[in-house]
Amino acid sequence: MKCPRCESEKVNLLTKAPVDDAWEVYICETCTLSWRNTEGPNITDPEKYDKRFKLNPAEFKELDQIPPIPELKK
Amino acid sequence: MAYRDLREFLDLLESENQLVRIKEEVMPEPDLSAIGRSAPDMENAPAVLVEKIKGYKTPVVLNVHGSWQNHALMLNMPKDTPVKDQFFELEKIWDRYPIKPVWVDKKDAPVKEVVIEDDINLFDVLPLFRINEFDAGFYLSKALIVSKDPNKPDSYEEQNAGTYRIQVKGKDKVGIQPLPFHDIAVHLKHAEEKNEPLPIAICLGNDPVLSFMASTPIEYAQSEYDFAGALKGEPIELTKSENGNLDIPSRSEIVLEGYIMPREREIEGPFGEFPGSYSGARLQPIVKITKITHRQNPIFENLYLGMPWTEIDYLMALNTSLPLYKQLKRDFPEVKAVNAMYTHGIGTIVSTKSRFGGYGKAVAMRLLSTPHGMPYTKIVIIVDEFVDPFNLEQVMWALTTRVRPDKDVFKVPYAPGMPLDPSSEPAGMHTKLIIDATTPVAPDFARDTELLAVPEKAEEWSKTLRDLVKKGGNK
Repeated sequence: MKCPRCESEKVNLLTKAPVDDAWEVYICETCTLSWRNTEGPNITDPEKYDKRFKLNPAEFKELDQIPPIPELKK
Repeated sequence: MAYRDLREFLDLLESENQLVRIKEEVMPEPDLSAIGRSAPDMENAPAVLVEKIKGYKTPVVLNVHGSWQNHALMLNMPKDTPVKDQFFELEKIWDRYPIKPVWVDKKDAPVKEVVIEDDINLFDVLPLFRINEFDAGFYLSKALIVSKDPNKPDSYEEQNAGTYRIQVKGKDKVGIQPLPFHDIAVHLKHAEEKNEPLPIAICLGNDPVLSFMASTPIEYAQSEYDFAGALKGEPIELTKSENGNLDIPSRSEIVLEGYIMPREREIEGPFGEFPGSYSGARLQPIVKITKITHRQNPIFENLYLGMPWTEIDYLMALNTSLPLYKQLKRDFPEVKAVNAMYTHGIGTIVSTKSRFGGYGKAVAMRLLSTPHGMPYTKIVIIVDEFVDPFNLEQVMWALTTRVRPDKDVFKVPYAPGMPLDPSSEPAGMHTKLIIDATTPVAPDFARDTELLAVPEKAEEWSKTLRDLVKKGGNK
């Protein structure tokens, strides 16, 4: 299975439904996207995920930090 | 007060026909998001209690604050109270600050009825769902989050109870957004300077007055709990958290306790925000959840936000307007009311009497130098004291009959702005637009105009007509 958003293959089962095994939730360890297997292909399918919201893990380190990490104080 | 906590408020809403129940089972997606979107679009919008969600044990309530009717009931006023009257009631009860809380023992606190320490899985307790299509995951959008300054662990006043968006990232792990200009960021900075975890409590399903105060921009050393007490006219009940010595509402439905991991950031977002567009992905802190406490049969409260108006716009309407009003009134006593409820104050309308020519413009400039108005407000409209700034029909009248575009409209280029405003360019800067729609007074002058007066006895008759309608028309 691939992450629908960043296409990383580091995808884990996060949880199963507490009642009736009704669904499963997966999470991408690379970009932290999570999704339920009962959601539509617009969310679950890497081919159908909207291109405007795709992410490239190579660019993560350039993202802003909110809030910035301060200097250590002795 | 007619209610002490969320469930008593829901009873009140139901008795006033301001709450509906969905009894059939629904899917977490896309139903819950669609319900949260649809409810505030209705006239007299109700809160919606969804009793059964596929795969989950806990019900969810949406749109608790999402109408003027519910907002009035929160303030203990009749549900048909006009917005302007709610504003003035709020002004009155605001001045009762501070009313100190009372502390109850853990054993008497409803939120401690169930304590979960082992095998924590947020999905066991919370019916989590995706709020908007391209949100990065399942979010808690309406939590009251408590933290203390680690350098002043005994300071009750500097403890903060605020609302910050939370992205669920694991069974016992969430992400949080502490924006640098918000109070929790001060606490986190002090913890991170020492490389220490910052204990927090994420409180869900609260007395509506607590949700209201958690999203109000009060001063750093003022207590949200003391203000909530003032609004209620009686103390809020608090208890102690299991860890971290935090003061938490004793009647919350569910509390997630944990700590922010120091000096770590991880990708968070995007998330659909109140201006009606997505805010992008950033590197933000991570929270480890170490304990969950909740009431028997808890109710999960969350809110939908997106293209205005949604529940959050009602929640942030008067609690943004009131502090601005107080700050203007101090220097400009002629100011009558402030409406900063459009897109969290990005558009603001002030009604004022003009002491002398050009006064409206001076009031606008003062607004643009207040702590909230300086970065947030982009478009200011000033109207006369007899115009209700909450009544857009009257405001349009003022614009069409009082504005001389060559004299009354001006811009302040390239001023402080609000990054979530998608028109700010670069993000965080914008040009201010000021429109003075007041009637000129000396030494300014205008053509002679005479306002039409209201017919004699109109007030009497309007009361009679309202009472007749309430009774069903006198058939």
